[in-house]
Amino acid sequence: MDPLEHAALSGTDEAAMAAKAEDSPLAMALLREISAALADYLETGETAVIDLKSLPMLDADRDALADLLGEGEVTATLNVAGESEVRETGYAGVWWVRHFGADRKLAAEQIEITAVPEILLAHRDDIAAAADRLAASLKTDPPEPMTTLDRDTHHV
Amino acid sequence: MSDGRTLGQLLAQRGVSRRAFLKYSSYLASLMALPPAASRAMAEGLAKAPRQSVIWLSFQECTGCTESITRAHSPTLEDLIFDFISLDYHHTLQAASGEAAEAARHEAMAANKGKYIVVVDGSVPVGAGAIYSTIAGITNQQMLEETVKDAFAVVAVGTCAAFGGIPHARPNPTNAMPIRRLVKDKPVINISGCPPIPEAMAGTLAHVLAFGNVPELDSHGRPLAFFGDSIHDRCYRRPFYDKGQFAESFDDDGARKGWCLYKLGCKGPVTYNACATLKWNGGVSFPIQSGHGCLGCSEPHFWDMGGFYKPVSAPSDEVGPLAAIAVAGGAAAGVAAGLVHRAAKVKAKAAHTTVTVDDLEKTS
Repeated sequence: MDPLEHAALSGTDEAAMAAKAEDSPLAMALLREISAALADYLETGETAVIDLKSLPMLDADRDALADLLGEGEVTATLNVAGESEVRETGYAGVWWVRHFGADRKLAAEQIEITAVPEILLAHRDDIAAAADRLAASLKTDPPEPMTTLDRDTHHV
Repeated sequence: MSDGRTLGQLLAQRGVSRRAFLKYSSYLASLMALPPAASRAMAEGLAKAPRQSVIWLSFQECTGCTESITRAHSPTLEDLIFDFISLDYHHTLQAASGEAAEAARHEAMAANKGKYIVVVDGSVPVGAGAIYSTIAGITNQQMLEETVKDAFAVVAVGTCAAFGGIPHARPNPTNAMPIRRLVKDKPVINISGCPPIPEAMAGTLAHVLAFGNVPELDSHGRPLAFFGDSIHDRCYRRPFYDKGQFAESFDDDGARKGWCLYKLGCKGPVTYNACATLKWNGGVSFPIQSGHGCLGCSEPHFWDMGGFYKPVSAPSDEVGPLAAIAVAGGAAAGVAAGLVHRAAKVKAKAAHTTVTVDDLEKTS
């Protein structure tokens, strides 16, 4: 949703939401849950995750929820054992995270209530390994280019 | 084979980042109805675990279970489980044969004493001195006893290993036994199904690796995460059952409209498994979605339930909303139930007893 359209809507948020509520009671229920979780996060710093895949959601419910939440400023695509997608919604602190498996099949879909979803952060162990690798590569002259390791071999 | 390094360290060398552990755990937590926040603990647990030695024993079986779990993977997310385990012995998949194969089994047992997991598919024939099935010159029963002795846990995959399955069907000529009848002093996790759902096998193994314990089980020893709901409770055709709309034959108007298959012998009401939610072949479909009733393949004695096309309870002409309550044990599927926190639901399910065909016949 573009910012102008969003601004125009915000004046009639209640009316728009009432219309959506008729379309998808499930999306409205989720929106209330998200709202409560966001308030909790502000107050206590406790993050929350809502697992959308475990809910009996129809495509119409998903679309309604996406419409209600809108688009935020950040979209990230991850290449981690297949693709993953992290999108900020129109509400800061509310993220829509989708993990894909083989053939871009949806493996997990979550709403995360947090400043930044953990999967975007580099893990300390990975940073430590990277620091070692970088330091080692500086000792060789010239530095060896990094290669992507082939993950296709399986140990049976 | 474990060399002291953790899975995090081992896989980092192959370009698998900790993000991949987190992603895999999010996927499993969702499958297993764990609280979403548990995925972080699971990711940390997996990264810190050593590579798990697994010895896979195949007895009276058809290799369908192996087919199922190996079909689960494609070179992305779902196959990570094969990076987490070291499959040290498996008749069908290992390259070694004969004495070299048996040596691999003994080596894995000695190197991982008390820590390895034994996966068993197939039942064990104990009739006539257990001679109906032998491997490497010893009976299946001997091989099971010998291998399980120093194991950490046993996972019985498939209905044959879990409940006896087809070899155990009447008249059970070989006196086939389920693994739980023969292994008394180790935890035995049953993952039934003919074959079991691949995600149920992978998810259960990952749980054991990450948390170092056996997941919560139902009264038949099956992980509640995958066997906590009946097919009927989670079936998309359930609303037709509740309204009393049934297909009466496979080609009538009701069948064409996709109505409930209860009267055509669907065993969904007495069958506990995750087919209705996880589905098969990468989430494509499951039997009921393809127009055939559930056979009840993940339940004990499924082959002897009196016929695949016989309705599960006798008074087929009285089926209606009231019967729905009696059969389904009162658990209503739908939006309201779906919104209940699933972890709480799984816990609540633990207190329920499984409804069997016998129970239904008693009440009818």
